This record gives sequence, structure tokens and C-alpha cells, in this order.
Amino acid sequence: MEKKTLLVASHIDKRFGLTHAVNDVSITIAAGEIRALIGENGSGKSTFCQMLCGIYSIGGGTFTLDGNELHITNQVEANNAGVAIIVQEMGTLSGLTVAENIFLGHEDPFVHHGIKDTRAMNREAQRLLDEYGFGRIHAAQMIDHYNFEDRKLVEIVKATYMKPKILIVDETTTALSQNGRLELYKIMDKTRADGRSVIFISHDLGEVLEHSDTITILRDGEYIDTVKASDVTEDDLKRLMVGREIGSTYYRTDYGTPVSDEVVLSVENVSVPGEIENISFELHRGEILGFGGLSECGMHEVGKAIFGASWDRTGRVKLSDGTEINDIPTAIKHSIAYASKDRDNESIILNESIRNNIVLPSLDDLANHKILNGRKLTNFARTHAENMQTKMQNVHQYVSDLSGGNKQKAVLARWMGKDSDILVLDSPTRGIDVKVKQAIYALMGELRKKGKSIIMISEEIPELLGMSDRILILKDGKINGEFLRSEQLSEEELIAKMV
Amino acid sequence: MQKLSKLKSSRYYGLMVLAAMVLFFYAIFKILTPGNFGSLQNLYAYFQSSIIYSVGGCGLYFIVVMGLFDFAIGSNIVLSSIVGVLLSQRFGYVGFIVGCLGCGTIIGILIGILYNQLNVPSMIVTVGLMLIFESIAVFVAGGSKQTLPAELRFFSGAPGNLILSVLAFLLMYFILNYTRIGTYCNAIGSNEFTAKNMGINVKKYKLIGFTLLHFFVGIMAILTVSYGTTMTALTGMSTMSRNFQPLMGTFFGIAFRKYGTPITAIIVGEFIIAIIFNGFVALGAPTTVQNIVTGAALLAIVALTARGKKGSVVK
Repeated sequence: MEKKTLLVASHIDKRFGLTHAVNDVSITIAAGEIRALIGENGSGKSTFCQMLCGIYSIGGGTFTLDGNELHITNQVEANNAGVAIIVQEMGTLSGLTVAENIFLGHEDPFVHHGIKDTRAMNREAQRLLDEYGFGRIHAAQMIDHYNFEDRKLVEIVKATYMKPKILIVDETTTALSQNGRLELYKIMDKTRADGRSVIFISHDLGEVLEHSDTITILRDGEYIDTVKASDVTEDDLKRLMVGREIGSTYYRTDYGTPVSDEVVLSVENVSVPGEIENISFELHRGEILGFGGLSECGMHEVGKAIFGASWDRTGRVKLSDGTEINDIPTAIKHSIAYASKDRDNESIILNESIRNNIVLPSLDDLANHKILNGRKLTNFARTHAENMQTKMQNVHQYVSDLSGGNKQKAVLARWMGKDSDILVLDSPTRGIDVKVKQAIYALMGELRKKGKSIIMISEEIPELLGMSDRILILKDGKINGEFLRSEQLSEEELIAKMV
Repeated sequence: MQKLSKLKSSRYYGLMVLAAMVLFFYAIFKILTPGNFGSLQNLYAYFQSSIIYSVGGCGLYFIVVMGLFDFAIGSNIVLSSIVGVLLSQRFGYVGFIVGCLGCGTIIGILIGILYNQLNVPSMIVTVGLMLIFESIAVFVAGGSKQTLPAELRFFSGAPGNLILSVLAFLLMYFILNYTRIGTYCNAIGSNEFTAKNMGINVKKYKLIGFTLLHFFVGIMAILTVSYGTTMTALTGMSTMSRNFQPLMGTFFGIAFRKYGTPITAIIVGEFIIAIIFNGFVALGAPTTVQNIVTGAALLAIVALTARGKKGSVVK
């Protein structure tokens, strides 16, 4: 039996200056369907969805939901119309409680004659959190006390408690641990079972195939095709996304390659209260050292601690020449680079040009007797942005206009320009499409061959297995397992040390 | 580790830190000058003087939390006090209270509207308006010192000043916890773009923020002129110094917001400043030294309590 049509997107169009972000895209989504929306970074997936939920104005075309044309100007109006989104980056607001975040813009049921019933709001928020299985999060507590993943879980509750007809999940899973992902999948399945629909954006094609019914592919803002998940393979999807054949594997294929004995960085008994405890390890020249674990295990803090970015770190981080790294300027001066998991807040300056982002740590090197030459900066930035194949109009374009993958390319271009010897990459492929992922893995391989050392912190087990010479697994802030690169090493062995 | 994190994020931790700071500064001056400082009677006097600034600090919280600032507070205190005193001469307490609160609030509405319409930084708008309000105050006062009639000085000391201040604090507590205003001000300060996307009318809530600030400044005007009994209008940015004492309390409030105790922090913060200030008076230190140490103590306290993680954004 033909399913009822829930959403009709007709000739949707959007331009940002010269960039044609979404070009005349038309799709229909049936009730009770999980529709994956895939494409490379910059293919227009997020822009399409952000128009649907009122974050961006619609450039052209119409959205019709359940027979009614949508005219929405912000997220609250979208929520009221039956559309909700869980965004890729941080979607909760600091300075508010968990409950205030959940009901922001929807306080009406708790406000009587202008007076807000805070207790009732907290009670309802806690009931929802408990119902979702997130009872450890306290509704009355300030959201600032929770980490990125917990805040993402709060956002999931916020987006779904009112049972939207269309739930957009925009590259959310990469911010979640395995447990968090399972919770999200359950919510998606329940949405489908209730006859409502999900638009699921993800770069993890395995996840896309496993959890969606149909898949729409966009490329360079244009509609390419819609296929049934059961009819295609990951390779088919890669070909559709990129427009050419992509190898079936993009990880390293070498095993048994010896790693240099030369130690470039020693970490001795490093602790950060509440985060990590007595972490010690050595990093060798030309080594890719992977850090894995559950999202809360403290591995992200390891990266910050090495880079001198942890506030109350104890212990020693020492280079081979004995230099101790206790702050960020010393780290950068001694050729250490760091790319944070929280790209928009900690790695990139959104309201600045690509050029100024790339040249930032290299200004001293580029200055001539302390005087900077604008053309030199532009050429420097262009060279490294182009080497990274950053999709941009020019290097003067604002980073905020770039897609997630191209932002990450700008971050990496920055450190390539600095020619750093030790790279600490926290979740380097988070929210990145398959083509950019392949490029980043290839880059890591090249850097390794050049003798650069990489610490790769990742929540993606296949990535850890595929790219690392050695893997350290953290659990509750401590190292709980160490594995050498091997073809026989399995995901199960790593997971056993994580949980 | 988890217990430590839990304790550090609880409101009791914030209260404990505040109490420890009060004890610390009290102990220092009590040791240095045991005879002149810190009797119960002294402490009560310090508290009464600090509570006036606490009221202003509460008002300032609404706009500082949104990332705005206001240099016109001092000029509003002077102008509202003068308007209140003049009206009190004809209408008694009603004229006094309505004059101070009404004038204060109207000025807040005016600042909010101009800020929204001119679309320039709040500091620039309020510096310009400060000069205008100072001149209007001179004009309204007719160039002479205005004295509050002796029979209308209920708010000059306890219990009048305490009752009015407590009412102001309760109002602040109510607004922060039981209306949308507190939530929306915090949301706008956290991320204005996201706040707009949540359907929040940002301009409206900025106008409300300025209006509330200057309503509290109106209350401060009642307390200030009652305490001092006279008010003289002066020009040439001479009201500027009145802006900073309430702001110190607001800094404490912002710093302790994460513990959910901003109002307590504002009140205790102003009390700590008063302890330090009066401690130096008891020591016989010159005013310049007092100011240097008071400023340094404020910076140290806020830096110790409010500093974020290394690398975090501080605005």
C-alpha cells in the first residue's frame, strides 16, 4: 500500500552570495519514513534542512507539510508547525538551566498571567529526561555543568518531546558515545513507528544504511537521486555522492611497519581533576597514536592537556629536548598543533576570513621585522587552503559560510602551514563526508611518512583500528588498555576495554 | 572525582565560597585593627551602606548578563533623586516614591528605545545620555542643592532601608526565577543568534532589561537620597563614579551565576567591598590607597571565582 506523503519540498533554492548552496531541489517524504540525506560537505544537506526549520529563510520554492505550506521564520514557529531539528554543533545555551533549555521558546504551558511556574517546568523536564533514560541529568541544574554529549542529549529531548511530524537529525551521532547513539536510534525508530518521519543527515554510511529506509543524495547543492537503503551498498553511495569511484577502503593498508624508537613527546603522570588521572605514555617519531574510549572517558582532555590548554593540569608533558609544555604558546612554538573536537568554538574563528584563520599561528614566521605583508598572508593562506582542497570562493570568505568539512580543512591547513611536527587531532573526521575523510586519512599517512607524529583522539572504532600504529583505551580517566596495530585486532577487543 | 565535581557544581559550594570570603576579609582587618573594626554594630553599619549598591547591582545584572553596559546609572540616580525630592515637597511619600521610581523607569525606557533604534553600542548611547541627564538634573534642580524633608526619611535607616531593599531583592528573585525575562536575558547573553531562532524578541527583551535596570536605579535613588538627605546636580561626567559600586556587585552576581545564586552573590559581594573599604578607613589609610586596594581586591575575587577554563572565551 502506498504510504501517505508527509513532506513535499518543491524546487527549494538558496544562494549565499555567489555560492548556490541549494539548487532547485525537490523531494517528497512519506509518513513513517526515515529518509537519510547524504552528500559531501558543502552539498547543501544542512542548508536544505535549516530552511525547513526556519534557521535560514527559504530562497525559493515551497515546503508543504501534511498538506499545509510552511511559512516559518524561526525554530519556534517550525516546532509549532511540526518540524524540529537536532543540530550538528552545540544547540543548548549556557547560563540557563537544563529545564529552561528544553522549554526555551515554549514556556507557555508553565506561564500563567506572566508568572512562570519554575517548579512545574523543572518537574516536567525531569520527567522527560527520566522517560528518555537520561535521568542522571538534573533538570534544575545549570546546563554549564554538563559536557558536550550530555548537552546533546538534552537537545534530543528538547527537539523530540513535542513529537514533531518531521524530526531532523543533523550529523548528531558523531557527538554521541555508543550508548547515546543507541538512544537516538531508538527515538528515530519510535518516530517512524508513530507514523512521523525523520530526516537523517550522517556521513557514516554504515549507519545510514542500517538506520534509514530511503536515501537522498545531494551533490554541489543539486539533487542527484533517491534510493532504497536495501538496494545499495556503501560503495554505491560513495559513487553517487562523489560522482566517481571511491576505493572500498580509505584507511591505511600497511601492517607490521616498524615505528621509530625515537621518542618525541613524553607524558608523565598527567592528571586533570575530574577528567583524567595519572596518564603516562610516549609518542614516537612517525607514529599515529590513537586514543579511544567512551565519550566521557577523559580522552578529549588528554589532547588539551598535551597542548597546555587544561586549566589545572598536574604532571609533565615533555619534548625530546627536555622542553616542558605547560601552556599553548609554548606548545605552538615547539611545533605542536591541536584541532579540537568542538570545532566551531575551540578551533576556528567563525567570524573571520579563511585567510586570517590559517595565518594565525604563523604570523611571526610571516612577518618581516614585525611588519606583515597582506599579499604574503593571502598567498600563504591560499597555498595551504588549496593544498587541502578547501571548497571556497577565495581565502577572504568568512569561515562561518563554510560547511563542517571545509572548516576542518581550514583548521588543518592552518597547522600544515605551521609545519607542526606533533599533531593532536581530536575527532578529526567528525561531521566530515567520505571524500574529505579520505583526504584527511591520506594526509595523515603522508605526514606519518614524513616523520610527523600524530595523536588521534577518536570515538570511531574503525578509524582507530584503521589508522593507528598503537591504540590507548581510556576508561574513567585512566588508561585501561594498549593495543599495537594488527590486522587481527577487532572492535570487540577495544570495546571490552572501554566499558 | 565525581563527588568533587558534584560539590563544585552545587549552589552550596557557591554559598560556601562567599561565606569564606567574608570571613577571610573580616579576619584580616579584625587582626590588623581589632579596636576600630568589626564589632557587630560596625558590621551592621557596613551592611546598611552596602545594601544600597546591592539594589543597583541587581538592576545592572539584567543588562550585563546580556553583554550590555550602562554609564547613565549615576546620572539617573541624581536626576531621579531630585525629581523625587521636588515631588515629595508637594505630595509627600507618594510624590517621593513615584517621582524616583517613575523618573528612573522612564529613563530606562528611553535608553532602551534609543539603543534599539540607533543600533550603536550601549556604552556609547549611555555616555551620551549621561551628559544629557546631568544637564537636565541641573535644570530641574534650579542649580541648588535639594534636601529631602525631615519627615520623609523613613528609608534613611533601618528598618525602612532594609524593607525596601528586601522588597527589591525579592522582586529580582521573582523576575529571574518566575518570569520569562530572566531566562531570555540569560539566553540572549549566551547566544543572541540562537535566542532569535528560538523566537525570542531580542530587541524587546533588551528594552525590558534597560527598563528593569533603571527601575532598580529608581529604588537606589530613594535609598541614596534618604541616606544622604540631600542631592546636588553636577555636570561634566561627575556622576560617572556612581556607576561602579553597583557594578562591583554585579560582577559577583555574574561570577556566581553558575551556582544559581546571583542575588546572594551581589548582596554578599557588595558587603565584602564595604568590609574592605571600611577596613581601610579603620586603618587610617588614605583614600587613594583604599581605592587601589579595593579595586585590586575586587579583581582578585572575581578572577578567583569567575575565571573559566584556560582557553575559554571571556568577554
